[in-house]
Amino acid sequence: MSDYVVTMEHITKTFPGVKALDDVHLHLKAGRVMALLGENGAGKSTLMKILSGVYTRDSGEITIFGNKIEGDLNTKQAQALGVAIIHQELNMCQHLSVAANMFLGREITKGGRLDNAEMNKQAVEQLAKLGIHDIDPDEAVGNLTVGRQQMVEIAKALLINAKVLVMDEPSSSLSNAEITEMFRIVRELKAMGTAIVYISHRLQELHHIVDDVTIMRDGKYILEGTFDELTGGNPDHMDKIIANMVGHEVTNQFPREDVPKGKKILEVKHLNAGKLVRDVSFEVYEGEVLGFSGLVGAGRTETMRAIFGADVKDSGEILLDGKPLNIYSPGSAIRQGIVLAPEDRKKEGLCTKLSIRDNIALPNLDIITLGSPTGRINKKTENEMIEKGKSSLTIKMAHAEVEAGSLSGGNQQKVVVAKWLARQSRVIIFDEPTRGIDVAAKVEIYEIINELKKQGVGVVIVSSELPEVMGISDRIIVMCNGKITGEVDPRNTTEEEIMTYATRFGDNAA
Amino acid sequence: METKKRSFLSKPGVASVVTAFAGVVVLMLIFWGMNPNFIKQNNLMQLSRSICPYLLVGIGQGIVCITGNIDLSIGSVLGMSAMISATLICNGMNVILAIIIDLIACLIVGLSNGVLVGKFKLPPFIGTLGTMTICRGIAQLVNNNYNTGDIGVGGLKDLFRDVFYYDRIGYLYYGVIICLIIWAVFYYLMSYTATGRHIYAIGSNVDAARLSGVDVFKTTTIAYTISAFCSFMAGLITMAAAGMGSMQAGMSYEMYGVAAAVIGGISTLGGSGLLVGVIAGASVWAILQNGLTLANVPVAMRNIIIGIIVVACVLFDIMRRSGMIGRKKKAA
Repeated sequence: MSDYVVTMEHITKTFPGVKALDDVHLHLKAGRVMALLGENGAGKSTLMKILSGVYTRDSGEITIFGNKIEGDLNTKQAQALGVAIIHQELNMCQHLSVAANMFLGREITKGGRLDNAEMNKQAVEQLAKLGIHDIDPDEAVGNLTVGRQQMVEIAKALLINAKVLVMDEPSSSLSNAEITEMFRIVRELKAMGTAIVYISHRLQELHHIVDDVTIMRDGKYILEGTFDELTGGNPDHMDKIIANMVGHEVTNQFPREDVPKGKKILEVKHLNAGKLVRDVSFEVYEGEVLGFSGLVGAGRTETMRAIFGADVKDSGEILLDGKPLNIYSPGSAIRQGIVLAPEDRKKEGLCTKLSIRDNIALPNLDIITLGSPTGRINKKTENEMIEKGKSSLTIKMAHAEVEAGSLSGGNQQKVVVAKWLARQSRVIIFDEPTRGIDVAAKVEIYEIINELKKQGVGVVIVSSELPEVMGISDRIIVMCNGKITGEVDPRNTTEEEIMTYATRFGDNAA
Repeated sequence: METKKRSFLSKPGVASVVTAFAGVVVLMLIFWGMNPNFIKQNNLMQLSRSICPYLLVGIGQGIVCITGNIDLSIGSVLGMSAMISATLICNGMNVILAIIIDLIACLIVGLSNGVLVGKFKLPPFIGTLGTMTICRGIAQLVNNNYNTGDIGVGGLKDLFRDVFYYDRIGYLYYGVIICLIIWAVFYYLMSYTATGRHIYAIGSNVDAARLSGVDVFKTTTIAYTISAFCSFMAGLITMAAAGMGSMQAGMSYEMYGVAAAVIGGISTLGGSGLLVGVIAGASVWAILQNGLTLANVPVAMRNIIIGIIVVACVLFDIMRRSGMIGRKKKAA
């Protein structure tokens, strides 16, 4: 028998239309931390969901503590075998106390009555095992910081005897002191013999705790090795790891057209909004596409939402054609010429139950009702607007009365664009413009972006797909943790360089 | 280990309960000032009895609110309870048997609400709107669309009227005692048992509760069934007071329940609130009715004042939760 506590071999998982995992392997040992690395969408979370029984595998073998899993693994079974996940978004009842959360669903009772004293005692003991002595078991979880909540969740996992702990991006929302504390706890867990899977994009921090590394890319297993082996013993030497995460040299498969750079259209100065937009400044020029790259959660979407007036700004200035703007809501941004095609088309981009006509008309009703004292919709203006959108974007549809939700992803995105083209927008921001869109439709979207660029519209695209952002942009700004960490010229940069900027969290652990 | 003794007021929910009881005292002082008769023994005893139905529906609605749901069927179940029991008794059935049949009918409604909301995931507003309408229909149907006549006198019937409404020990009406016992039982359930904790948990974060192994369907159903039981009891009290069944009994009581719960500090958003508060909430409601009447405030004005107070309470709760008040504003 091997000394592995968990082995996953030849794991394959297909979602409709996508092969999420293709022949993936994972081997965990007791008392060791395995870093599971890969870009967004590499399949890390899917693999972990299979290990914890949330998803079922199509094929492959899983062995947990020598038990070969026959058939589907479900969450209860996985828990019983000692597998626990600390989710990226914490799953706690904010109103209930620390002890109540830790014992939720398995309360200790004495004669039908909750034994709070005993639960508090055990909660305190469990926390003490992790070296935490200052969490009051009676405190409502909602009153704790996110870092402390995470520790409660770890303690809760240990309470059910978790011997395999999966931590998905545990440091992403923690302060520096909390990260140090969390690493200390991870070391405690190692000493107890817990096998840990650690998913993180913060490569600089790995050397504090990580023993082994598994790298995945595009749903495939790339390699496995010890951390020292891969870095050659030098924790700053991440090139080999990054190269394997990224994998390939990018070939220019995108129809970027060079247009002479014109005058400055948009200027954002020292924008601050919440935790994920910190002192962001940039400029957009006529005739260029400005790309925003970075990891999920880097603050790109938040920056765009703050500019668009969808989120509250704390401070900062936005200038359009040299004039300062006062944007206090999406409506005011639209009227002043800045529009956003949001990340989640179905939720934020379209009213899916309304027709294409209604969707295109919705943000332009001010134009359509212009000149009518009763605010009557001018069908003629509306039809012209629809026709214009239809012909310039080649939206494939029988007629404009079709429900927007019934269109393909690519055509939905075109409807979103069409509604902004109907008015003279100066700046169009695309957040993940081709997410969930098939290859042919992607090229059409890129062509639309090129066309806008030629017309002198300022185009900003936020994209998590490196090849895309490198292929279509004229200039790329990289964000990490709410700040701009770099600016590169896509014509002479590498994915490695962008990833280096995108993971520039600094080493935050003491 | 240094667990510092927590101050009483800092415990979750206690502050709003204390505020609610302070409100009761203030209201009583105001009405005393407006009309010295308010504080007379007779009026206070009358007041204690009039709190009972509000307290019962407040407990039921409060528990359902803590699960993050709402029960619109409360008033109709109250009416149905009054009509079924009165009709059966008028038709000569043994009082105890009539009450048992009535109870079963009411509990079936509670179970149905639980199944609709907990199992089939109907929005609680729609699911219980349906049962609300059905139960009002049943209340009208049982005596062929007439109110019942007087349930008559003698034997168990007298005992029924006395126990639920008319008789008392010292200054305490039996009806009040029954309500306090029911309150105490559910207070125990909510504060000291795993079931109660699960009720709070599903209202706080239903996904976290499910992932922790809480049976969400069962817990939801328990809450709705408790609510139906409370409405059943309120129906009996209303029927005993009138001596007959009225098809209109309990109109709008689901909303009085919401008011009692919310004034008492239970959030309609779920997950928090203490059942102690419902006593204060129901008292505020009854005192406003009673005091404004004694002060000769016209009915229309009474309704407007009470309505404003309820909206203010809910607004306060929402603003407190969303951090608009009660938290320091972060520096710009």
